[in-house]
Amino acid sequence: MTGTFDLGWWGVALAIVAGAIRVSTPYLLVSLGETLTEKSGRVNLGLEGTLVLGAMSAFATCYLMGSPWLGMLAAGVAGAALGLLHAAICNLPRVNDIAVGIALFIFGIGLAFFLGKPFIEPRAAMLPSLPLGNWSDNPAIRSAFAISPVFFIGIALAVSLEWGLKNTRWGLVLRMAGESADATRAIGLSVDRIRTLATMAGGSLAGFGGGFLSLYYPGNWNEGLSSGQGLMAIALVIFARWSPLRCFYASLLFGGASAIGPAVQTVGITEGYYLFYAAPYVLTLGLLIYSSSRTRTLAGAPSELSISR
Amino acid sequence: MEDKPASGTVAAAGEPLAPYDNRTWLSGAAFPIDGLESLLLLLIAVGAAALLFGIFLAFYGHDPLAVYRTLYLGAFGTRFSLETTLTQAAPLLLTALCTLIPARVGLLVIGAEGAVVLGGIGAVLAGVALGSAPAVLGTVLTIAAGALAGGLWIGAAGALKHFRGVNETISTLLLNYIAIALLNHLVSGPIRDFSQTLKAQSWSIPQAFMIGNIPGWSVHSGLVIGLVVCLALHLLLRHTTIGFGMDVLGGNRRAAQMIGLPIGRLILLACFLGGAAAGLAGAIEIVAVHGAASESLVVGLGYTGILVAFLARQNALVVILVALLLGGISASGGLLQRRFDTPHAATTVLEGLIFLCVLASSAFAGRLLSRPRAS
Amino acid sequence: MSDKQTKAPPEVEVTDLTKSFAAVRALDQVSAKFRAGRMHALLGENGAGKSTLVKCLMGYYRTDAGKILVDGNEHAIEHPRAAHRLGLGMVYQHFTLVPRMTVAENFLLGRDSLPAVIDWVAQHALLDEFMARMPFKLDPRRLVGTLAAGEKQKLEILKQLYLGRRFLVLDEPTSVLTPAEADEVLGEMRRLVDAHELTVVLITHKLREVMQFAQDVTILRGGKVVAQTEVAACSEAGLATLMFGEALPLEKEGTATKGASRHDRAYLELEGLDVIGDRGTPAVVDVGFKVHAGEIVGIAGVSGNGQKELIEVLAGQREAQSGSVRVDGRPFRRRRRQLESKGVSLLTEEPLANAAVRSMTVMENLALRQFDRAPLSIGGIVLKRRALRPFARALIARYGIRAGSPSARLDTLSGGNVQRTVLARELARDVRLLIMQNPCFGLDAAAATDIRRQILRARDGGAAVLLVSEDLDEVLELSDRVLVMAGGCITYETPRANADRYEIGRHMTQGPARLSA
Repeated sequence: MTGTFDLGWWGVALAIVAGAIRVSTPYLLVSLGETLTEKSGRVNLGLEGTLVLGAMSAFATCYLMGSPWLGMLAAGVAGAALGLLHAAICNLPRVNDIAVGIALFIFGIGLAFFLGKPFIEPRAAMLPSLPLGNWSDNPAIRSAFAISPVFFIGIALAVSLEWGLKNTRWGLVLRMAGESADATRAIGLSVDRIRTLATMAGGSLAGFGGGFLSLYYPGNWNEGLSSGQGLMAIALVIFARWSPLRCFYASLLFGGASAIGPAVQTVGITEGYYLFYAAPYVLTLGLLIYSSSRTRTLAGAPSELSISR
Repeated sequence: MEDKPASGTVAAAGEPLAPYDNRTWLSGAAFPIDGLESLLLLLIAVGAAALLFGIFLAFYGHDPLAVYRTLYLGAFGTRFSLETTLTQAAPLLLTALCTLIPARVGLLVIGAEGAVVLGGIGAVLAGVALGSAPAVLGTVLTIAAGALAGGLWIGAAGALKHFRGVNETISTLLLNYIAIALLNHLVSGPIRDFSQTLKAQSWSIPQAFMIGNIPGWSVHSGLVIGLVVCLALHLLLRHTTIGFGMDVLGGNRRAAQMIGLPIGRLILLACFLGGAAAGLAGAIEIVAVHGAASESLVVGLGYTGILVAFLARQNALVVILVALLLGGISASGGLLQRRFDTPHAATTVLEGLIFLCVLASSAFAGRLLSRPRAS
Repeated sequence: MSDKQTKAPPEVEVTDLTKSFAAVRALDQVSAKFRAGRMHALLGENGAGKSTLVKCLMGYYRTDAGKILVDGNEHAIEHPRAAHRLGLGMVYQHFTLVPRMTVAENFLLGRDSLPAVIDWVAQHALLDEFMARMPFKLDPRRLVGTLAAGEKQKLEILKQLYLGRRFLVLDEPTSVLTPAEADEVLGEMRRLVDAHELTVVLITHKLREVMQFAQDVTILRGGKVVAQTEVAACSEAGLATLMFGEALPLEKEGTATKGASRHDRAYLELEGLDVIGDRGTPAVVDVGFKVHAGEIVGIAGVSGNGQKELIEVLAGQREAQSGSVRVDGRPFRRRRRQLESKGVSLLTEEPLANAAVRSMTVMENLALRQFDRAPLSIGGIVLKRRALRPFARALIARYGIRAGSPSARLDTLSGGNVQRTVLARELARDVRLLIMQNPCFGLDAAAATDIRRQILRARDGGAAVLLVSEDLDEVLELSDRVLVMAGGCITYETPRANADRYEIGRHMTQGPARLSA
C-alpha cells in the first residue's frame, strides 16, 4: 500500500481499520445468517460450502451477465438452495444436523470447484465502492475509505434483525422454535417449516457473503478464496451470543484481528503474524469455557440447539 | 403404555417428553453393524449417490456408465491405481478414529484436522531433538511423540467437556483453527528451515528416521501402521471391558452412572485415543512422506476422516473398507480428469453426495427390515 | 384478550366416559358433573384415572365411548384447539413456558393470532391493565427463567386467564409452592370462582386443600367414580376412606413374613439428605432413615414428593446438596467396585431411560453388572463375548424373559420384559442391599407376584431392602417398616404390625408441617 510508509504507525492503524471493514463484511453476512438458523434451533456447519458456492455463482453470473448485482442475486439463490437441502435432510427423523452440515460443506465446495473451473482465469466486473475517502489527497486514505455499500447493507441488516427478533411476530415465532419445539407445536405451528425457512435465509446470507468475496475483495474466483470464513462464523455467532448487533461488533473484531498481521508487516514486524489469526478462535474458546458449566452448557444458546445439550 | 394422543399435541400434554436427542444417531450406530440392515442401507445410499453423480455428469454430456468404469479403473483397475488408492486411504484409517472413538461415548468430535497438525508438529520436534538416536528407536519415538501430541490436544477437549460442560464439537472445531495457526506460525519462523525456498517448511527430521515403502509396493508402510491400529482399536472396543464400558456410556449415560462406571475417565480416554490416532496420521505424514512440517499437512485429511467414520457407522473394522472406498474415489479423480476433462473437484462432489445420501438413509434405519416384536 | 364476561363460566359434564390404553382400562364409564362457577376437586391415587379424564376433556386423548357436554351441548373434543375454543384450559404440573423469553412474550405466544409487527407499547399497556385486574402480579418485562417456581406457576394460571379460558383444570398446582403460596393461589382461585368468573377443577391429593377450598369433590379409584359429593357433606377421614378403599387384611397368604431377622447395624443409612430437583426447588429435605439387613423398609407416598430424586441420588444420577449416604458403615461412593463388594442392586422406574441401554442387545444388558468379572471377563480386562450368550440364556430361562433371542435389541421387548431383564440382572448376584422404585409398575399380575416373591426371598436371605412405591397396597404387603414421604420429607413412620392404613393415607395426602421455601 503506497503511502503508508509516510504515515508510519498511522498507516498501520489505517490499514487495520480498512482491513477490518473489508474483511468483516463477509463475516457479518454469514454470521447474521447463521444467527437466524441457530435461533430457530439448527446448526448449519455447511456454511463454508455455501459461502464458496455463493462466491462461485456470483462470479460466474457476473462474468456471463456483466452485472455484479445480478451476481449477488445468484449467490443468494445458490445459498438458499443449499440451505433448503440442509433443512430437508435435517427434517427427517434421527438425522444429526452437525453431520449434515459437514456433508454440505464437502458437497458445496466440491460443486463450487467443479462448476467454477472455467471461471478461474478471467476477470469479471466488480461491485462498486463508495468513495468515502475522497476528502483526502493521500491515496492510502482514499483506498482505505473506499467502502462497499454491502458493508452498510450488512449493518442495516444487523440492526433490523436485532429489532425484528423482538418486535415482530416472525421474530417471536423463530425464537420460540429455537427455545422450545414443544411449545411451538402446542400452538399449532410447524417447527420444521420455521427451521427450513430460517436455514434458507441463513444460506442465502452466507451466499451473499461469498459473493462479496469474489466480486469485491479479493475480487476474483479461485479455489483458495475462502480461508474458513464459513466455519469461523459458527464461532463468531457463539462469541456474539446469538445477537445480530453483537455479530456486527464481533465481525469487526475478528476482521480487525485478521488485518493486524498484514498491517504490522508494513512497519517491519513479522513475528507473530499468524498468531493474530488464532486470536479470534482463542477468544471464542475462552468465552465458551467461561460461560459453560457442568450443569448448563453454553449459556445463552437457544435451548433446542443440538450443541447446547 | 399409552396410545398416541391427538396429533401435534403430544408434547403439550404437559408431560415432559424424553427430549428428542440429536445424539441418538451416535448411540444407535455406535455398535457393531446392526445385522444385515446397516450394510444394506449403506449400499443403497452409495448406490443412490452414484446414480445422482451419473445424472449430474450426464448433464455435461458424459456417459454415466463410462464414468463408473473409469472410477473403478482409476481406483482398483491397475497396480498403479491400487497403490494410489492405498496411499490415499492410509491416513484416513487413522483420522476416522478421531471421530469414531469419541462417538462410542456419545461425543461428536470433529477435531481430526487439528490433531493431525499437532501430530506433525510433535513428530518434527521430537525427530529433530532426537537427531543422534539409533534409527529404529528414533522413528518409533518420533511417531509416538506425534501420537501423544494429538492425543493431548483432543484429550483437552474431552476434559473441557467433562469438567466444564464445553460442547466438544465447537471446541474441537476451534482447536482445528488454533492448531493450523500454530503450524503456520512455527513453520514461518521459530522452526523454519530457511534453506528451503520453494515454500515455508520446518526443519527436517533425520533421513534415518524416515520409513520406507512396503516391500514390493510403492505404498509407504504407514498403511500397515494404520491397519494395525484399526484392528487393535477394534479389539479394544469390542473385546475389552473398557470398550464395553464406553458403549454403555454412549448408549445411556444414566445407566452408566447406575452401574458405577468411571465416566470421566472413559471420556478422557476416548478423546485421547481418538486424538492419538489422528496425531499418528500426522506423524506418519512426516515420517513417511514429507520429512518436514508445512502447510501440506492441512489437506482435509481430518474432514474426510469424519466422513469415513460416519459412513462406517462408527465400526472400526468397516472403517478399513470405507477408507479404501474413499481412497479409491480420490485416486480415480486424476484419471477422470484426464479422460473426461472434468475438474478434480468431481470426486469431492461424489463424496459429498455419498455423505448426504448416507445421512438421509439413517432416517430409514429400523424401518427397512421388519423386526419381529417379542410379546 | 377477552373482556369481562357477563354470562356464567362453562359447565362441563361427562357421561359414561371410557378410555383404554392397550389392555388397561384407564377410565371405566366415568360420569361426573363439574358445575358452573364452582371449585371442584378431583381426588384419587396414582393410576386412578384423574389425569386421563382431564386429558380427554382437553382433547389430548380421544375417548373410546361416552359423551362430553359443555353447557349442555355435546361436543367431540378431538384436539386441544377445540377445547380452547370452548373456553377450556389446563395448567400442567410441568411448565409450558419458554424460560428465555419474557413474561409478556410468553403471554403473546399463546394467542391464536398475532399482528405482524408487535406494538410493544400498546401490548404492554394492555398487559399492565390485565395484571391490575388479576390476583397475582408479575412484571411482564421479566425473563421467565428468572422467576421462582411459585411465580412460574402463577404465570401459567395467568396465561390461561389472559387467553380467555374460563374452565380451568389445575393439575397439582401447589406441588412447587410453599404452604403460604399454596393458600394464596387457591384462595385467589376460589375468589374468582365465587365471583362467577371461573369454573375450576382442582386435581390434588392434599385433603386439607380439598376441605378448605373446594366445594364439590369427585373421587376416582381404578378408573371408576367411587363418589361424587359436596365437600360440606364430608370429613377428611371420610375422604381418605373413599380414596384408599377398605383396609386390606394385613396377614395375607404368601407374604411369608419370616419375622425379619434384623441385624442391629444399619446397612443403608441416610442422614440429612437435601436434594434440589429439576425445577430448582428443594425436592428432598433433610431426609434420614436406616435400613437394616434382613428387613424391608417401604416408603409410601404420592408421586412427585421427592421419591424420584431420592432414588436418583442413590443411583448416582443426581448429586445431593448436603447430607450423607452410608452403606455398611462406609460413605457410599457409587463406584463399581463398591457396588460390587457391598452387593448393591437397584431397580428404578422407567428402566429403558434409567437403567438399561436400549440400543444394546438383551444379552449385553444382562451383563451390565458382571461384564468385568468371571465368567464374562478374563482378568477384568478382556471381555469374552462368546460367554455372553450362555450367561444370558440362563437368566432368560430363570426369570422368564420373553425375547426373540438374546441378541435382540432391548427396545424390541415389551415394557414388562425390559423390567424383567433389569430385574434379572440386578437380582442374579450376591444382593445385600436392594433398592427398588415402583418395581411392578406396568406389569401384569403374574409378573408382579413373581417380583414380590423375589423381593421377599432377597430379604429372607439377609439383604436390606428399600422399597419406594406409589402403590400403597404393595408397600403394606411387603414392608416390615413403613415410612411416608410427603413434600420431600419423611413425615411418618410405623412398623407394619400395627400400621393404620388410614393414618398412612392421611400422611401421604398432607404436606409436611414445615417446608423450607
